[in-house]
This record gives sequence, structure tokens and C-alpha cells, in this order.
Amino acid sequence: MLFILILLFSLVAQFFLPWWVITPIAFGLAARSKENGKKSFWNGFFAIFILWICMALLRTLPNDNLLANRVAEMLSLPASSYNWLILVFITGILGGLVAGVSAFAGFQFRKAFLKGR
Amino acid sequence: MKPLKSLLTLALAGLLTFSLNTKWGSIPPLGKFMDPFQGFWKNAESKTTSSEREFALDGLKAEVSVQFDDQRIPHIFADNNHDLYYTQGYLTAKDRLWQMDFQTRFAAGRLSEVIGPKALELDRFQRRMGMSYGAENMTRAMMADPEIAEIMQAYADGVNAYINSLKPGEYPIEFKILDYKPEAWTPLNSALLLKLMSATLASGSNEFYMSNILNKYGNEVVADLFPDYPYREDPIVPKGTKWQFNALKIPKAPEGNPVIGNATIKTKEKEEGIGSNNWALSASKTSTGYPMLANDPHLDLTLPAIWYQVQLVNPSMNVCGVSIPGAPGVIIGFNQKVAWGVTNVASDVLDWYQVQFKDKSHQTYLYNNEWKPVKTRVETIQVRGGETVSDTVYYTHHGPVVYLQNQKPKDFAKANNIPEGYALRWIAHDESNDVRTFYMLNKANNYDDYRKALTYFTAPAQNFLFASIDNDIAITPNGYFPLKWKTQGKFLLDGGNPANDWQGRIPAEQNPTVKNPPRGFVSSANQFSTDPTYPYYLNWEFSGYERGHRINKRLTVMTKATVDSLRNLQNDNYSILAENILSTLVSGVDQTKLNAEEKKAFSLVSKWNKFYDAKEIGASIFEIWQKQVQKEIWDDEFGGKNSPMRYPSRDRTVQLLLAEPTSKWYDNTNTPQKETKNDILLKSFKFSVDSLKRGYGPMSDQWQWANVKHTHVPHLAKIAGFGTKTLFNGGSKTSVNATSESNGPSWRMIIALGKDLKAYGVYPGGESGNPGSFYYDDMVNTWSEGRLNELVYLRSKKESSERIISTWKITKK
Repeated sequence: MLFILILLFSLVAQFFLPWWVITPIAFGLAARSKENGKKSFWNGFFAIFILWICMALLRTLPNDNLLANRVAEMLSLPASSYNWLILVFITGILGGLVAGVSAFAGFQFRKAFLKGR
Repeated sequence: MKPLKSLLTLALAGLLTFSLNTKWGSIPPLGKFMDPFQGFWKNAESKTTSSEREFALDGLKAEVSVQFDDQRIPHIFADNNHDLYYTQGYLTAKDRLWQMDFQTRFAAGRLSEVIGPKALELDRFQRRMGMSYGAENMTRAMMADPEIAEIMQAYADGVNAYINSLKPGEYPIEFKILDYKPEAWTPLNSALLLKLMSATLASGSNEFYMSNILNKYGNEVVADLFPDYPYREDPIVPKGTKWQFNALKIPKAPEGNPVIGNATIKTKEKEEGIGSNNWALSASKTSTGYPMLANDPHLDLTLPAIWYQVQLVNPSMNVCGVSIPGAPGVIIGFNQKVAWGVTNVASDVLDWYQVQFKDKSHQTYLYNNEWKPVKTRVETIQVRGGETVSDTVYYTHHGPVVYLQNQKPKDFAKANNIPEGYALRWIAHDESNDVRTFYMLNKANNYDDYRKALTYFTAPAQNFLFASIDNDIAITPNGYFPLKWKTQGKFLLDGGNPANDWQGRIPAEQNPTVKNPPRGFVSSANQFSTDPTYPYYLNWEFSGYERGHRINKRLTVMTKATVDSLRNLQNDNYSILAENILSTLVSGVDQTKLNAEEKKAFSLVSKWNKFYDAKEIGASIFEIWQKQVQKEIWDDEFGGKNSPMRYPSRDRTVQLLLAEPTSKWYDNTNTPQKETKNDILLKSFKFSVDSLKRGYGPMSDQWQWANVKHTHVPHLAKIAGFGTKTLFNGGSKTSVNATSESNGPSWRMIIALGKDLKAYGVYPGGESGNPGSFYYDDMVNTWSEGRLNELVYLRSKKESSERIISTWKITKK
């Protein structure tokens, strides 16, 4: 449930707001959910990991990965024909990590301050 | 305990988010950058685009229609000047906004604002050279001309309309990498870009080196090795052309030797960076019965492309060609009646004047035995992530004192040829209205319109080539040429003596020009404008004559020329330099002193056909060989160990090799024994083979000229991955196709005038400036292979072309 909520809220919010909106979303939703710490982290992580990967694929596939390959070279990734795919994964992991840590912080917050609920 | 843990994890989440939203050194803010919603992924353009679009813009007076051809080149149809240039600004920004922004910042000395302290010295240099000062003067002159003012403002408004329509996620990718925002465009920005052309093409300066040489070797050696007219020349205005005017009185040179500069900064060998060509054939020499015109201006190549193709149509004009991204109008192009093109004129429009200040306060300086007041200009540079730096520049009536004594930065290559304590007199600082020249050429119908248009042009001086459907062809080395005594500004000048000032200008109508010469063609390739009979002094040295001579030789024998014959000439890799010296070089080598590999190389270069074609190994050997020969001859005397100097020209070296076999200059003064010409030839040949071996292994295909030349087009900010790969092509600095590592034809154009006008062109890039677009570099291969694209030229809005892939209707809001 937490996973779906973070994914959907972020999907809508990211069309209007800067990328860091995923931090308060993951934090807030995790604080309101009943998942434990480990689950909070992985729900947050995979929600954004999947959202960002899907969105990146949606952008890069119609582009024949032209830009992704150039950016991979800019970031000094070792040359290979799968560079664009590696970049897609790095994107997912980066976003996932931020959301996972934020969701975990949300869980800690609930434990510390919202115990009664 | 729990609250503390909670706060710690919250802080961790916050910190992680914050650090991924922040730029660290040259690493972009990674979270922001990788975000697939607003980050770089959003710049990945889809292959398929919608073909029809309709939208409204504030500021338009009437409806505008834009048709895009299959290379995304816009063909703009408007009802009036305002809407036409407004739309040109809008569309250019759509494709090239970051390039426009970055180049403007570069010109104005404002790069530190976005890339931090590492650009500070460069910014300081640009400001001390008076780039903004010149652009401000230019803007004042343009805005005083109501018609041009309207164009400049409309263009700026169009750029701003585009900028204002953008959300941060839609910024060009380089803004995201460097993490900054575009700012509002003004006519001053357009002026800065035009000044940048002067900085590229008309800021060469040898006088510092020349004064050091004069100081060390005296008049006789200077006259011998640095003559005021070359050994071999084939001037733009054909030899023997009569001058149809009464020349002004030439100012008198002051008595005595010019001021001598001295300094102890090392310099680098000056690289010849320009290789532009243009020519026009009269109807008698073409297959179409109408004139044809060809132009290929050479520049340091970059992506996004230097030029932006566009067709501009309103009831008073229908012009097509290339524009400078950031400036209105077409710079090189054609309309239904005329075509024109440009190459650079190496006239001396930049001089250095020694300034004697009264005291360390730099408030007054000596001029004509009086103390004259100095004006100061305080330049304020905002450095990203650092403090704001202010820099005071002192202006005399000559211009800015670029560096005071001991003020010049060390290890800053751009400042190498700048003497300390000297004021800069540079044409790029003067008020000018060059945009009017292009505006009038865009609308020109005939030769008279062309001549009128040229009178408004100041800098950088260009060889304006012209052809019309009325079968007129002409060429005019044109710009503001200061009226000088002979060789004025060859050396550093005494700024206190009024006789050293520029004494007005050569009247524009007396600039060298030739119309419909008997030979049936006109041409230029940066060489001397005239033979020595021209009454005025333009400069003592121009680019070598080789390319011009080759063009003239081929055009002389050309009959019934087609577009293809002109295209072949643009791609001609033959080297007149090799024709002049290869046999001399070869005959001087004692073959008994060569080892097996050297013998093989020697045999190859001896049989080489003198074409710098991509696969020629002989070209690689010869190129390194002849360069090393020049170095061996001159470096001991003119290497500038203690004070910066330069070598005598290539032309003078050729003369030495061909006509002075026992000259004293062959001897290396750093060795006890006496070297001869043949010693140098042998040693340099061995050096050539050895350096190819070191760089590319034993002789193989790796030695082929294209691999050694290594042509590629880098990104403007040198971002890795955003430039081209190495291109496999031919060319050399002494060939018509003067392509080198990353300098070459920035635009190739051929126009066959006539009722059935045909136009062709290509540049090493694409119409879009977005590295995530299929139109970013789609013309590069065509360019590299020496082919051209036929240009879409629509006679009217109604004319249909199957190459139009998309149409926009832009209405007023």
C-alpha cells in the first residue's frame, strides 16, 4: 500500500514540483502508514526506483537513447552499447535511495512522536 | 532516545536531498539532473514530432506562419519587419538558447557568474580588452537608427518571449549541467555576439613580437625576413586593376624608430587559424547562363553549430542563408536576385600605444607634451560561490590600457601577445551599425544596392563577394580601414606622439573593389587585397597566397561550371605549398643516411601526389616534415627564449628554401658546428618519421592523414560526449579545403542564380542546439564527406515543397 501511495503521489506531484518533493512525500506517507522500518525503506525505495526508471525509459526510448549515451560519456561511464541502460538504473537507484531514506525517517518519526496512533 | 534517532534519520534524509540538489565543483546537482521528470531526461527529443501546431504569442502584430523543412530549418513568413525578426528571435532561442547565453557571457566577461573562480582571469581579460565597452558603443549606434532599432528590439523581444515560456524542466541541458538559469535578452547581447566575431577575426596582433625582433636584429633583418609584401602573391583585386579615385593624402610617418617593448614572457608559435574562401563566376563561365557564387567561411568549429540556417520572408524581402545565433537577419545568403558571401580581411585594425602615466595614480598621461586625463571604468565581476571582484581599467583616448606594468597574469595564453603598459586602439571599440549592412544586403536587388550596403560596415573587415541575376559579379575587401602611414602599427607605437594616431579612415568608396573583371570570376582566400599599386596601407602581412592561387588557377581554366565543379573546388585538397617545396625538400635528403623504415617513408613522400586526401600517408609525412623544417630554421633565432617573438612567414621560408640555399639562417646558433640546408632537411625528415612512429606505431594505415589530422567538432563548452567523434576526411591549411583538427569550413554554400535558382549548403552540425535532438549533428557526415544539401527556398507562403515536414501558425495574443 505504502509503495503504491508513494509512487502515485510522486507521479502526480513531479509534474508540477521539483524533484525533491519525493522526500516529504515518502516521509509523510511512511509516517502515516503501519509498515516497519525495513519495509518502509524498501517500499519508498522501490516506489521511486520503479517510477523513475519507467519515466526515464519513456523519455529515452523514443530518443533511441541518443542523449543518454552522450550523458553517459560525459559522466565518464566506460564505453559500451548498454550505457544508456546503466544510466537508467543509476537514475532509479538515486531516486530510490532518497525516497527509501526519507520513508525510513518517516517510520522513525512515527515511532518517536506518533506512537499513540 | 527515539526522538533523537528520529531527528537524526530525518536530518540524514534532508542532507541527502540537499546534497543531490547542489552543484559540487563541476559535478551537476545529481538528483535534480537525473530526475526523469525535470532533469536531463526531459531533453531527450522524440524522433517523431507533430507536424501541425498553432499557438499565440504576446507582442506579434499579425499572424506569422513558419514552415520547417526536413532538417528542421525554419522558413518564416510574416507581414512586417517587426513580426519577422520577433519570430526569428523566438525560433533561434528555441534551438540555441544556451549557446546564445554562454557566448554572450563569454564575450562580456561574465562566465565567472556561472562557472565560478576558474573563469575569473578570462573574464578580466575580456573586460580589459573592452569587449563590453565596444558592444555598448555599437548598441548606441544601432539604437540611433530607427529602422535597425526596431529590428534589434523585435529580435530581443522574440527571444524573451521564448525564455518566458520556459519552465525549469524545459531549459536546455547545459543549463542543467552548469545549474543556472537563462536571463533576459537585450540588443546589447546581440552586439556582444557581433563583437565576438571581431575578437575572433580581427584581434590578431604581432606588433609586440615585431618590436622585440626589431630590437634584437635591427631594420635590415626585419626588412629582409618580414617584408611588407610577399615573395609570391595572387591578390584579391587582380594585379593591374586601375584605381578609379583620387586618393587622400597619406599621413607622414614620424621620425625615428618606433617604441620598443620588452618583456620576459614566453609565447607559443602562432597558429594560422583562418582558411575562408569565396568566389563568383560570371555567366560566361557557367553552364546555367547565370552567375554562380560559392563561399566557405572557416572558423574554430563547435557544436552547437556556429551558424543558424533560416529563410526570412515579408512583403519587402525573401532572403535565405545563415544567421549568427543571437543576431537578426542573414549574414551569408541569397535572395531571388542576388547572392553574397564573406571571407576575412587581415587588415591591421588593432594597434598598441605605449602610455606614459604621470604617476602611480594613473590619473593623467602624456600626449603631445601635455598631461591628458585618464578615464576609468570599474568592472565588477560576480564570482559564483565567491566574492565580487572589481577591476579598474584605465582608458586613454586610444582605448583601454589592457595591462599596466606587472599586471599581466602568468600562464594565461590569451595575454601572450599583449604588451604591458600599452593602450589598445581597436576598431571593435568604435560605434558601428554593421547590422544595417546585412539588412540592406538581405533586401538587395542589384549591384548598386550592394555597394550602398557596404558603406555601413565597420568590423571585422570582410571580403564581400557579390553576384546578381543581372550578371554582375564583384568583390570588395570592406570595412573601416584606418588611414595610416605605411607600416603604421607593424611595431608598437609611442602613444604620446599625435603622428602615431589613426588619421581618420580610407573613404568607404575607395576601399579596394573589382567588378566584372575580364577573367570572368572574382575570388578571395584571406590573401593580400591588392597589388602594391593600391595607394593606401592596409597591413604588411596577410594569409598565405596558396589557397587563393589554387582557386584562381582552377577557375581560370573552368568553363561551363556546374554546382558540382564548384563543390569539387571547395573540397580540393591539393597543396600549393607542397607543389612549391616538396621537390626541393626531397632532393636535399641524403638517402644513404636513412634506415629501412625511413627509406620506405621517403619513397612514399617522394611519390606523393600533393593532395592532402584522407588516406594519404605521404601527406602526414610531408606535413610534419615541413613544419619541422620551419622550426629548425627559425627557432634558434626567433623562438623567443627571452622575449616573445615569432617566425618569419611561411612565404618567406619558401623563398629561403628555393632561392637562398646558403643562407646564414640555416645554421643552428645553439650548436658549435655549422648546419647547412641539407642537414636541416635530413634531420627534419627523420624527425617526421620518428614522431609518426611514436604516435601511431610502425608504418600502417594509422599513418593516414585523416588519422593524424584528427578532425572533430568539440562542444562549445568542451563537454565530453557532446562533440562529434573523429571524422575521417582530408584537407590542410594550405589547401582550398583548409580543414584541420577542429578548424575548418563552418558553412559551405553554393548558389546558382537564375530564374530557376538553386541553392546548396551544409555546416558541421545541425539546426538544433540540443544534444538530445536528432537535428543536433545531422549534417556532420554530409559535411565531412564533402557533400552539400540542396536548400529549401520557398518563393511564397503558398509554394509547396515535399521537404516541408511541419507547419506552425503563430497568432497574436
